[in-house]
Amino acid sequence: MTEAGPQTVYRSLLGGDPRIGWLGPGLALAIGLHLAVVAAALFLPKLLDRPHPVRKPVIAHLVALGKPRDPRLLPRKESEPPAGAAPASAPQKPGAPAKSAPQRQLTRQEMMERAVAGAARRTRDEKPDPERAGQETGSPSGTAANAEEGEKYFGEVEDRIHANYVVPSVISERERLYLSATVVIYIGRDGTIVKHVMTKPSGNSFIDQALVLAIQRTRLPAPPPELARLVRDEGLEINFKP
Amino acid sequence: MKRLLLLALAAATAAHAQRPTIDISGARVQAYPLALAPPSGAPEGADVLGVLAADFDRSGLFRLLDPKSFLADPGKEGTSASTIDFSKWTAVGAQALVKTSAKAEGDTVKVDFRLFDVPHASEMLRGEYSAPRGGLRQIAHRFGDDVVRAFTQEPGIFQTSIAYVRETENGKQIVVADADGFGAQQLTAGSINLLPAWMPGGRALAFSSFRNGGGAHLFQVDVATRAVQQLVKMGDFATGAVFSPDGIRFAFSASQAENTDIWLSPIEGGVVRRLTDSRGIDISASWSPDGKRIAFVSDRAGSPQIYTMAADGSDVRRITFQGNYNQEPAWSPKGDLIAFSGRDEHRVFDLYVINVQTGKVARLTQNQGTNEKPSWAPNGRLVVFSSTRSGKKQLWTALPDGSNARQITNEPRGASDAAWGPPLSR
Repeated sequence: MTEAGPQTVYRSLLGGDPRIGWLGPGLALAIGLHLAVVAAALFLPKLLDRPHPVRKPVIAHLVALGKPRDPRLLPRKESEPPAGAAPASAPQKPGAPAKSAPQRQLTRQEMMERAVAGAARRTRDEKPDPERAGQETGSPSGTAANAEEGEKYFGEVEDRIHANYVVPSVISERERLYLSATVVIYIGRDGTIVKHVMTKPSGNSFIDQALVLAIQRTRLPAPPPELARLVRDEGLEINFKP
Repeated sequence: MKRLLLLALAAATAAHAQRPTIDISGARVQAYPLALAPPSGAPEGADVLGVLAADFDRSGLFRLLDPKSFLADPGKEGTSASTIDFSKWTAVGAQALVKTSAKAEGDTVKVDFRLFDVPHASEMLRGEYSAPRGGLRQIAHRFGDDVVRAFTQEPGIFQTSIAYVRETENGKQIVVADADGFGAQQLTAGSINLLPAWMPGGRALAFSSFRNGGGAHLFQVDVATRAVQQLVKMGDFATGAVFSPDGIRFAFSASQAENTDIWLSPIEGGVVRRLTDSRGIDISASWSPDGKRIAFVSDRAGSPQIYTMAADGSDVRRITFQGNYNQEPAWSPKGDLIAFSGRDEHRVFDLYVINVQTGKVARLTQNQGTNEKPSWAPNGRLVVFSSTRSGKKQLWTALPDGSNARQITNEPRGASDAAWGPPLSR
């Protein structure tokens, strides 16, 4: 007669445990976790009182004061060009004597300085265009010919950054035409840009410097309460294009 | 398990608070602040620097700083990076600095130019050029082009030439001048000569002339020898020759049987081919930079408008729909824009550009006299045109948005019909 040795009984965790009924501890834990995930996804946003996501704001521009322009007409300039300037060093009239020769002997240095200073002094005295395209109910400081609906705050942000969106003339035309860079700005409750991160540089240091400068020079209005937390915590992504 | 919870939280957070995104386009281009330090050495340096200053100013690329604002002492500061106190140039807003020193030896003047990157306190470019006193302007143009290339990696235009029509007592004459209007050379004498167009290589110009009586026909003139010979005599008149970018063909307008159309001819002559055949007038051809299309003016729809067609005459498309008199198209070297002159509701001609892709029209000139006949600089950064804004019709240059307008001719009786060409070898 042989004696039976000690036997090990393996019990599945999924199997029922006589102490707690048919539900195994592993299955109970799995179901509990799934419920927790679903609950977190459903209720966490409400608990944190976050605003709904703003994915693609529609930008609004202030409509200019003016009259609607007949679309069949050639356009007006968006702003008046600077007054024409005389040449920095005017060409001599053909056949005319070298009338500047005596002056040149006397004031070589002055002539050069005058030419440079004259060029530096030229300013853009822009006058309002009495025939500018706009709407009779528009604003003198408006920039758009037609009204569009949109998110007012983001429109203001766009306008203010655009006012400082200046790239240096010395970049190549190719780089200017295909310019693409992304900067994320974080806006405080008072409108201060508290942080900016260049998430996608343009690849040209002149342009990147100019974009950072544009951000630094921009003064934004305070965001509305419903956007304040979003633009402070998540930031606002700005895609700079040509 | 912990990882699962974290993933769930991250997913939940990402789902509820997406970052808003806005696009900003339409960058303004700002001239680069540049300081031209007072020259040292021979007094001819000041003359050279004056030419360079005018070039830089006209280009719109640079904003020249007022020398009166300079803090550095030119007497103490040298021309090498180690001797320059860059903080003094930074303080006046300079991003770039040019230093020159001139030395005169007999009739020869040697000028040493240096370009410095002020923020990085480093030398960007150095050049030493010699020329007889009569060639000092060319020295300045050459260094100016080198500076432009150092920044933009593109060729400059200071050493290029512009052909135009000079009004004289004896009619209208073809003239070639430097891009700043200096050094004008009259190539024709007598009769009425119009619409100069550079032939490939820049050694000769085609133009329309009434010199043999009757209607205008096409001639060519050698820039160096001023020898004139007939290019095309056809029908009642033949005018407005423009050469294809590859230099093997030219398009022109000719009138036969009271119908004016665009024609194409091999440059060596031979069989001409009719490209348009509408009942209206088709004139003012302008090649796209890739040579695949031609812009032209046609009144086939009742008023002169700008059209484009394939270089074989097929695929005709009207591109202007605003205004009732658009003419003189000039396709930009980059191919994206066509400049033209259009008559507005006040019956004044002004300059416009149309984006070939989008059809959007932008105005370059306004309330400044009559502005006509645009022609692009070879690098596409400037446009030359004729304008009456200062009185008589003169040539002006401007940036492609119409800003930075500068007068470059001062012809007693007027100048018109500008055609911007390549560097002129003399």
